This record gives sequence, C-alpha cells and structure tokens, in this order.
Amino acid sequence: MISGEEERMDAAGIPYMIRPGKGPEGSVLDLLGQLIGSGGADALLLPFRVPSGDSFAWIMFSDVSLLKDAVPFPATMPVQGGRALRSLTRKEKGKLRIIALMRPCEIRAGMELSKLGQVNTENLILASYDCPGAVKLEDYVADPVSCDSAHSEMRSRGEPSGNARSACSTCVDFSMVDADIHFGYFGIKDGGMLVLPGSPAGRALLEGLNLEEGRGLLPQWEAEISRLAERRAATREETFRETAERISGFDGMLATFSNCIGCHNCQSACPICYCRLCYFDSEVSRTDPEALITAAEKRGGISIPPDRIMFHTGRLAHMSLSCVSCGQCSDACPVSIPVADVFSFVAERTQRAFDYKSGRSDGEALPLRRFLKNELDGVHEMVKDAESEASPNE
Amino acid sequence: MRAKVGVYICECGPNIAEKVDIDGIIAGLSEFDGFGETELVVKKYGFLCSKSGREFLEEEIRNLGLTHLVIGACSPRDHDSTFKGVCGRTDLNPYLYRIINIREHCSWVIDDVEKATEKAESYLRGGIARVLRQSELFENPIDVNPDVLVIGGGVAGMQAALSLAAEDRRVSIVERSDRLGGRALELSGLSSGTFRGSDIAAGQVESVMGNPYIDVFLNTGVSSVIGFLGNFVIELLSDEDGATTEISSGAIIAATGCAVYDPSLSGSYNYSDRDDVYNPLEISRMLSSEGGVALRSGGRPENIALVHCAGRDELNYCSGICCGVMMKTALLLKESIPGVDITEFYRDICVPPHEGRQLYESVLEAGVDLVRVESAGLSGTTVSFREKSGVEDQRSFDMVVTAPALIPSPDTADIALLLGIPLDDTGFFQEAHRMTDPSGTTTDGVFIAGTSQGPRGILDSMRFARASAGLILTRLIIGEKLVPEVAVSEILEAYCTGCGNCLEVCVYGAIYSDGSKGVSVVNEAICRGCGNCFGSCPSGALRTKHFTNTQLYREVDEALR
Repeated sequence: MISGEEERMDAAGIPYMIRPGKGPEGSVLDLLGQLIGSGGADALLLPFRVPSGDSFAWIMFSDVSLLKDAVPFPATMPVQGGRALRSLTRKEKGKLRIIALMRPCEIRAGMELSKLGQVNTENLILASYDCPGAVKLEDYVADPVSCDSAHSEMRSRGEPSGNARSACSTCVDFSMVDADIHFGYFGIKDGGMLVLPGSPAGRALLEGLNLEEGRGLLPQWEAEISRLAERRAATREETFRETAERISGFDGMLATFSNCIGCHNCQSACPICYCRLCYFDSEVSRTDPEALITAAEKRGGISIPPDRIMFHTGRLAHMSLSCVSCGQCSDACPVSIPVADVFSFVAERTQRAFDYKSGRSDGEALPLRRFLKNELDGVHEMVKDAESEASPNE
Repeated sequence: MRAKVGVYICECGPNIAEKVDIDGIIAGLSEFDGFGETELVVKKYGFLCSKSGREFLEEEIRNLGLTHLVIGACSPRDHDSTFKGVCGRTDLNPYLYRIINIREHCSWVIDDVEKATEKAESYLRGGIARVLRQSELFENPIDVNPDVLVIGGGVAGMQAALSLAAEDRRVSIVERSDRLGGRALELSGLSSGTFRGSDIAAGQVESVMGNPYIDVFLNTGVSSVIGFLGNFVIELLSDEDGATTEISSGAIIAATGCAVYDPSLSGSYNYSDRDDVYNPLEISRMLSSEGGVALRSGGRPENIALVHCAGRDELNYCSGICCGVMMKTALLLKESIPGVDITEFYRDICVPPHEGRQLYESVLEAGVDLVRVESAGLSGTTVSFREKSGVEDQRSFDMVVTAPALIPSPDTADIALLLGIPLDDTGFFQEAHRMTDPSGTTTDGVFIAGTSQGPRGILDSMRFARASAGLILTRLIIGEKLVPEVAVSEILEAYCTGCGNCLEVCVYGAIYSDGSKGVSVVNEAICRGCGNCFGSCPSGALRTKHFTNTQLYREVDEALR
C-alpha cells in the first residue's frame, strides 16, 4: 500500500503516532483498551496463549482487564484469523461491534470470505500490523521458549528468519492491507509506532482518541517497508523458480505430492476452503469401484485409493483465485509437503490471468462471477511463458 | 429388477451404415460382459426416425419389456425429441433413454471404417453405462400465461398494447413518466397535413385509457424480471411511493423510446442557453404556443439557419429521420414567419421514398436556400462551414436550429440488463437478427419495438410494435400448455454454504438466497437446467437432474475403457 499512501490518506485521514515507551505490543494493547473504553466497540478478538503454553487461541472478550494477558503479535498462526471471523459473522452481521487484531494475511482471507458470503464485515473493525512472519508450528510446539525469542528477534528486524515458515519468507503483503486500522512499527526507532487509519470507520474511531499526529514518522517507516518488501520479493522469486521446476509436468506433481497421506489437513486449515463438505470428501467425487477396475485393466495397475493428485489440483481449481498465500496448508501437513509453495505459485498465476489480486477490498467482484469479453486474452501466452519457465534449458 | 437395455443402431440410409461396421458393433456389444447382470438387446434399423422405425421401437419396448433405451443415431438436435416421443407412447419413462450421436461424431467425420466403428462402439458403451444410472423424471405441464407486459407508454408501446388488447389479451403498460404518449406528443407543433403523429398519439392515449384489457402504471419502473416465455414474474417499482407490485406475464415488449443528443457536448457546437439555438422539439413547442416562434430578445427572427447532422461524427451513425424533420421544420417556419430567410446546411439528404421526394420539392419551391457542406460548427448563432468544394466560410443568423441525433434513452442499458438482452454498438436494444428477426431478442419471450431499437419515425415505430404484438399472438396461444424443464438443478441444503457463486452465474434468475439458513435455493419453475450453477459450485451441493456427476463420470469412464 506504500505507493497509494497519498490516496489512502485522502480517504482515511492522517496517520497518528505513539511515542516510544511501552513498545509496539504494549502500545497496541493500550490503544485497543482505549477504543473499548471510549465505546467505539463492544468487544475485542485477540490471540491468547493456551494453558499448555505452546500455542495460541482466538479469544473474544469485552472485559478490558483481560487485555494484559493477550498476545497481540503471536509467534505462530494455529487458526487462521479469517476462520475466526467467519465463525462470528457467518450468517449475518454480528450483533456486537468487534475489533479484531490480525496479521495482514488473515485480514486478506477475511476479505475473500466476505466476497464469498462467509464473513460479514459490517460490524467488524479490522486492525492489522507489520508482520515479521510466523514460526513453524512444529518448531514452536517442540521449543516454545527459544521460538519466542527467535520471533521477538524477527519483530525487531522486521524479517522472517530461521524457523519462519516459507510462506512468510516469500510474503510481500506483510504490512498495510485493506484494514480499518494499521499499526506500523518496522523501521521506527526506539519502539515508537504509527497508527494508520485505513478506512472512514477506522478514522472515526481514532479521531476520538486524542492521539498525536504522526506524519513525521512516515518516511522512515515507508523506507523500511520498501526495503523489506524488496528482500522478500527476491526470496519469493527464488522460491517460485524452484517450485516451477519441482512441479513441472504430471511427474513433477506426482513427485511433490507422492508422500501425501490423504488426511486433507491442508484443506481443513485453509481459511478459503469454506465448503461445509469438501467436494473431494463427498460421495459424488468418489470413483465408482467399477471404474477403478476398468482403469486397472486398461493400465495394468492403479494406485488405491486413487485421486491423490486430483485432490490437490482440484483444490487449486476451486480456491487458487482467492488464495492469500498464508501458509496454513504447509503448517498443517504432517509429512512436510511444501503445499503452500505450490499453491502460492499457482495462485499468483491464476490471479494474474484474471487481473485479480486476492484479499483486496470486499467491493471487488470475484473473477469467476463476472464475464468480460476479453478476460482470457493473453492466457495462451501465459501458458507458454509458464512452460518455458518450467523448463529453462530448452 | 434386472435391467434390460435396448440398443438400437440407425443406419441412417448410407449415412452411418457406409462408414460404421454396424454388424461388428452388434457382435461386439452382444459379447461384452462389462455390465454385469444387465441384459443387452442390440439391433439395427434403416431409418429409426421414420414412421415404421418409430413403430418398430414402440413394439420392441412393449414386447421385450425394455427397462432402458439407447439409440445410436444422429445429433440430439435432430431427433432427441422424436425418440422421447416414442418412449412417451409406451410405459418407458423418456428419461431412461439416451441418444448417442454416431453420425456427426463418427461416420461423417472419420474416413477410416475401423476407427469410426471403434469410436462409435465406445460411445455406445458410454451411453449404456450412463442410461443405467439415469432416473425417471416426470413432466408437469402448466398453462401458459397469455398476458403481456409493455415497458414504455409511447406510440410503440401503446400500439402494441392496443393490437394485443384487440385480440382479448390482458396488457400492462409500465411508464416511467407521469403521462402516456411519449415523444410523439411533443411533436404537435411539427405535425401538419392529414397525418399528424401527435393526433395519433393523443388518440392512442384515449383508446388505451378506455380499454378494459389494458392496465396502465404511470411513474413506475421495472425492478426485477425472472422467468421465460410463457411464465415471467415482474416486479414493478413505483417512483412515487417506492411501493412494489408483482405482476406475471407470458411475454414482454420493451419500447422504452429514445432521447435527443445534446450537440453542445461535441466540440464543434459552441453555444449557451442565452443563444437562440434550438432543436426541432423546441421549435415544435414554440410553433404550438401562443407567442409562436420568437427570439429570446422578443423579436421575430429575420433569418434562420437549419444545421443538419449534429452528433453524426461523434456517434458515428445517421439517425435517418432528421432530414425529413428539418425540411418540415423549414416549411412550417416559412409559413409561420412571413418573409423569413431560411438556409439549410446539410451533408447528405436522407429521406424516405414517397413523402420525402415531395417534401424536398416543396422546400425548394418555398425558396429555402440549401447548402451542401462537408462539416459545420456553431459559435453562438454563427455557422462556420466547409463546402463540398473545400471553400470555408461563416455566416451569422438570428436563430439556429440543429438536428441532433436520436440516442438511446437513459434507462436503456438498465432495462437491457434486467431483461437479459444485449445492446448494439450504438447503445440501442439489439434485435435477435436485424433482417430475419427484427422484433425478437436473444431472450425468448422478450420483444422490442419503437425507437428503443434505433432511430425511426412514428409510423415505423408503430409498424414494429404491431410486428411484436403479432409474434406474441402466434407464439403464446391461450389454452396451450407449457412443459417446464424437468432436468432442473437442485441444491442439497445440508451441503450448501451460501457463498452465492450459483446466484451470480444463473442467467435465468432462478436461484435466490435464503439468508436465515445461509443457503441458496433453486426456483424449479424458472430453472431451465443449463447447468451453469452446477459448474460453479465447489462443494457438490448443486446437482442438475439428468446430468449428475455419477451419470457423466460413468459415461466417460466406460467410453474410455
């Protein structure tokens, strides 16, 4: 959102700042407490550490005294925030006006779910923050203490490192997205923080708080975000290149997904997969035993149960246009398949084909619901490009 | 019960028999044991679609007690309904039959007999596999609704309504403004001689208001349209109090009229409200007012310029009626202001054959100065122009009358969207076919008339209105039954997540959202079974009867065995 900064300010108002002192985490909690206190919202939705200490859970609450135990910037993302928003507003707008603090990718998932009729944003105030990335769930469960300190290091440097998830190292949407309020702290010295309104609703809430004007901090924050974005974009390029090679052709897909155990965890953890019953778990998608026998006769033998690749390619066909590359699928995979690398790579291309970017404001129409005369112009060229990308030696 | 599938292969004279080894297929299928307990009867026949062929099939179904029927023949577009009819005359449900196209797909397109035969046989195997998974469906004919909705109460809309009402059809006219009559009434000042368009319009208004078969809704728009020929449900929205009225009709005529281009929008016509620049409608109003034609300053104009073709370059079409209107305007101005000098700047003369020629001669006789130009522009009431010879000049006048193009009325695009009909590249309603079906549209049951389909005069608007009314009278016959599609879509509530994909892709408006349950619901009376929704549903909650996944997958699997 850096390039559109002036436009954004016109629409949403001037940025505020919070002086160093409590550090970004303390400042965010403080401000959220003030918002509840001022009557701007009825409740908060924030991550809390679970009793066992090795994970986090979304808690919705209105008792401000609980705030001190919240973890605004958790090291991991066990449940994607988009799913939490969906649980609250699945049928109609929520009765309570809730402020939810989430990673940018969680808010982007919420935007996609809103377009898909699964989240109603009318009574939600969405707040995002500069996200350094999340630590792999597997690593965190094994050693929460050292992962916490690694994540704290990531926050101060603004960069994923070591045990960060691949999806985070390749993420370029880690800062301001289409949220109502954004907390920017990357690159701001001594633990100060910017509070940026992102919508008229966000502006209205912040205007009531008597905050200090923060335009002066914008340049250092913007410079740091661009610097970090460039670095992550380079990692993204590199990962995409490797992925393109790895999944090229049917054999490539087969090799990538050959140890898939068919648990469908990737689909359960995915914030975009919103179906009550996944098509690939339903009776209609199951291959008729007769057809299996026919196929076995014809080919000499088949893998049982069938359709392992079909599940993943089918899921790509169903959700890649809305995929926000949050990486939940990889975190959920018990056999360490780099699912998110493949899905991000494909999603980037399918979205490009329709000139669409997932996660932007919920006013934008989903590509498969609108019909434009020339929308598939150039797809042929894209396919050719992808082919030559996949086999650079030719 | 053990299934007994009858497979009948049509020779289609030499069409199929010459390129497909039918006896080979019969032998192959008879030996084939891939269908388990199912008994197959495989036979051939010369022309299955002939009377004797159909009787043969009926006897076979009855005498052999067939439970399913597969026909290997031509395209379903040719004879699907023929064989459905055969089933209908027996006890076999028509949805337990399947036609397989081995003519267009095999014998006509493959030269090699062996290959054509192999393909035909695999298609037939697929057909057998599919038909075994088909289910009985039952048709439920409903009465057609013979009533008609007319959108727009101008001369075209009123003419259509009167023609229909004369044949005892109930018609509803929806009119956005507060009166019937449309633009024709504004032309009273320009009407002359025995044919007066405004008089005709006024007469129509009287007839419509007194007609017991016609209901008129003034100050009203259309807010939603669902359904198809014989069965539309329309929601009307009152502009006055926002109240909605639901009406049903069997057909719709859109006659939403046109608007007049504003020449000051083009770069070459520069004038303001203070200048004496008018269009023919404004002149018409002056002519029929007490004060007659006068300048803003109060005096009579001594000389008037008539500038044709305002907007022709910008809009890139000729409205076709303006030349006649301008000539009439010239004559009436001459008559109304004794001694006035009139100059017409024209590019081409476009007038209809009979009246046009007389009009042209009258204009010459009346002493109107006709100047042929390549282009003309205005600066106030000064006309600058380039003659055909290339000479550029400018002349000042007391008054200028422009001939602006007719453009679509502002509602046209919205109405087109509601009715699901396209616009042509000038923004008017597009006909189904300009020559062969100029009153129909791409949506069955929706017709167009008048200037909503392009610029035209009062007489032509009325002609097209009569044509639309006539088409409806022959298509929508009182007492005839309509068989709604039975192979419709359904949504399994337990699986639906209410994402709304299907709602967006349904072209018939047959799906609605049940907000309280958070699911989408199909209105089976409106669904035509096109399958768009089926393709858009990621969760398998949608099913299109007669085209289920199981049926399609098994057909493909077996064909590719």
